[in-house]
Amino acid sequence: MIRYAARRLLTAVLLLLVISFLAFLLQQLAPVDPAEAVLHAQGVPQVTSELIAQKKAELGLDRPLLRQYASWLASSVQLDFGLSYVTGKPVWSLLGPAFMHTLQLTAVSAAAIILLSVALGVYCALREDAWPDRATRGAAFLLTAMPPYWLAAWLVWLFSVKLDLLPTSGMDSAASFVLPTAVLAVGYAGVYFRVIRSSMIAGRNEDYVLYGRANGLTERAITRRVLANSLQVAVPMFGMAVPILLGSTVVVENVFAWPGLGTLSVKAILGRDYPVIQAFVLLLASSFVVFNAVSEVLSGLLNPRLRKDL
Amino acid sequence: MKHSRNALSAIFILFLIFSSGCSDSGNEPAAEAAKQGQAREIIYASSKDINDMNPHLYSGSMPAQGMIYESLVEKTEDGIKPLLAESWDISEDGMSYTFHLRHGVTFHDGSPFNAEAVKVNIDAVQANAERHAWIKLSTKIKEVRATDEYTVQLLLDEPYYPTLLELSMTRPYVFLSPKDFINGQTKDGVAGYDGTGPYRLADQKPEQYAVFEANESYWGGAPQVKRITAKVLPSGETTLLALQKGEVNFIFTDDRGADGVDVEAMQSLVDSGRYQLLRSKPMNTKMIAANSSSTGPVHERAVRLALWHAVDRETIAGQILHGAESPADSLFSGNVEYADIPLAKRGYDLKHAAELLEDAGWKLENGGETRVKNGRQLALKLYYDAASSSQKTEAELIQSAAKTIGMKLELIGEQSSSVAARRASGDYDLLFNQTWGLAYDPQSTVSAFTAESSYAHTTGGIEGVEELYAKIGQVTGTRDEEKRKALYKEILTTVHDEAVFIPITHGSMAVLAPNDLEGVAFKQTQFELPFELMHFK
Repeated sequence: MIRYAARRLLTAVLLLLVISFLAFLLQQLAPVDPAEAVLHAQGVPQVTSELIAQKKAELGLDRPLLRQYASWLASSVQLDFGLSYVTGKPVWSLLGPAFMHTLQLTAVSAAAIILLSVALGVYCALREDAWPDRATRGAAFLLTAMPPYWLAAWLVWLFSVKLDLLPTSGMDSAASFVLPTAVLAVGYAGVYFRVIRSSMIAGRNEDYVLYGRANGLTERAITRRVLANSLQVAVPMFGMAVPILLGSTVVVENVFAWPGLGTLSVKAILGRDYPVIQAFVLLLASSFVVFNAVSEVLSGLLNPRLRKDL
Repeated sequence: MKHSRNALSAIFILFLIFSSGCSDSGNEPAAEAAKQGQAREIIYASSKDINDMNPHLYSGSMPAQGMIYESLVEKTEDGIKPLLAESWDISEDGMSYTFHLRHGVTFHDGSPFNAEAVKVNIDAVQANAERHAWIKLSTKIKEVRATDEYTVQLLLDEPYYPTLLELSMTRPYVFLSPKDFINGQTKDGVAGYDGTGPYRLADQKPEQYAVFEANESYWGGAPQVKRITAKVLPSGETTLLALQKGEVNFIFTDDRGADGVDVEAMQSLVDSGRYQLLRSKPMNTKMIAANSSSTGPVHERAVRLALWHAVDRETIAGQILHGAESPADSLFSGNVEYADIPLAKRGYDLKHAAELLEDAGWKLENGGETRVKNGRQLALKLYYDAASSSQKTEAELIQSAAKTIGMKLELIGEQSSSVAARRASGDYDLLFNQTWGLAYDPQSTVSAFTAESSYAHTTGGIEGVEELYAKIGQVTGTRDEEKRKALYKEILTTVHDEAVFIPITHGSMAVLAPNDLEGVAFKQTQFELPFELMHFK
């Protein structure tokens, strides 16, 4: 177990190093000189060659690439990602609050996704091919096919403007979570519930179910066991949903004016704010690695056969 | 992908227009709530955060800075008028400006506005002169002297006629309380945002909102609208919905010159009877800059002239921009100072465009679609800002018209910073651009004709360029008004004749405001609004 964990940790660190270097290289591959891009992003009306040279020296961009990378890496491990090129503020002071805002939305959405997927998955599996199953699948197909911004706009129109029940945007109260969570949850739950449904249907034909029935187990008890087995497939999927959500809230954040990572990253990309982009990539990569490890451990707990490999 | 997104957005907006027209009764509770609860304040939607409000740097929102900070003088339709300076004297040689400051003005933190405050502010700007190189005054200021409590003397290295104009701009020559300086400077950040303006910054939640409250001790009288909130709403669709619901009640053309909300959608809000839409006089000109220094076909005047005749300005203004802008026949609109001069009008005339090319030796060979001269094809690259909602459509219209005259245009969308980098390096044939705007035209745009980072490549290849540059050098130094008028006339006629700036439309500033808001007016800049003049019925 310890050897396995050590191996996983080493792989994760190597992976993060490679990712961080690639993120760092982005700056060098850009068609526009980073110093020049910074000056444009800062709104300087006329960018002269003297200003570019001055900015390069100020940002340390005139040093050799590897030295730049080494000093950036050394600070990054202490969570010091430097200063934003555009605002001049520490990157962490921008990324921290945005990360927390997105994490809140992601946590609520992940909970909604899990509840919705499991409930719908079980409901449909127990009514395989009956009309409620078909109707649910049809509706899910329609909703997941809708582009999120389009669905978001309709929901805002209906629930905020027409029915006046919820705010159109912002994150002022608990009510602000409802619509963005709904848009995120519909997209993911519409796919995940099918996995649970299929796995439940397959599970119901297993020998142990037949054996359980022969032994007089109630249908409720059998369903519980089949669901527990189906969750082995779903847990890694749910585990990875969190980092995927963290990195894919851009559209929803834009529509709902949610001051999170999506908004920040797009702004950083458009403004070529490389310190923010690099920190964002590293943060996202780290969360993928962490959640991957967590879901593996959870799978091991659910499936004793996997524990031997651990 | 982008096309399908645009199409879906268009369908959604059409639906909203339709639904707001048919069943407005459903909106009444929200509208009523908006009227009762929020009517006394202005809540405007902004696509981005107000950012750093340091008035001596450039990342902050200009409309927000315009509420907080003030300059010594103000540019109005009737010329330069007093603001923080009640009067001024200019020396005979034009190298010394003496300002007599308004008495009894205080910064938002209570500290007095006086000659010393003016001196330390201008000194702080000059300490970062390289950053302000675009504003030529920064290169002319020799010294600032506080001669007594309320008198300031500004000494220049040489006479510079736009001095008062450049002192009137939103930034950088505006005044921050010296108590907010860090180590006597502002270039590395400031400790607060206390200006002398009609509003003070009361609260700012980054990427969410900023609240401005009326400065009750404002020297010009406390503003009647007591609270203004800038709410960050990046998406145009959400802004429209928030306007319908009454969560925001005011929008204006943002400082990037882009309308966040669809023109037809704005009209539907006006039709609902709750909003009014106001447009300013022309504020700037959208145009195509042609690289006359290029070694390609665009170096030829005939090619540039033919393209000029291939731009259907009426269709662009009327159909693509839904009447939000007006067709432009010259680089500057007639309401720009020194620009009301007779210039040859060149309309949309494809036949004449083809003749110009034919006469210049560009021939269609063997039934080909593209003209050829000395074995070289008449093919040009036109760069546009990929983030602009209208430039691509305009470019496509021009491309199809150019094709009919045998000119092949390749359209390339890039980020605005890449387009700006191309303009500076000269790596382009044609690119979309715009003049600096009413507060800066003509003097700043004209002085950018010679700047390496701006239009040096656009103007550098024309006949008589040395003479043109010499006139641009003289125009800001002369104190003789008649001579200045004559010089501007010659400069603007030269670039018009050479067709290096192909005008498309004149842009104006638009404001969508509640119907019961009165006093909505415009300044002589597209970057600020006089909120202090507004009041609810």
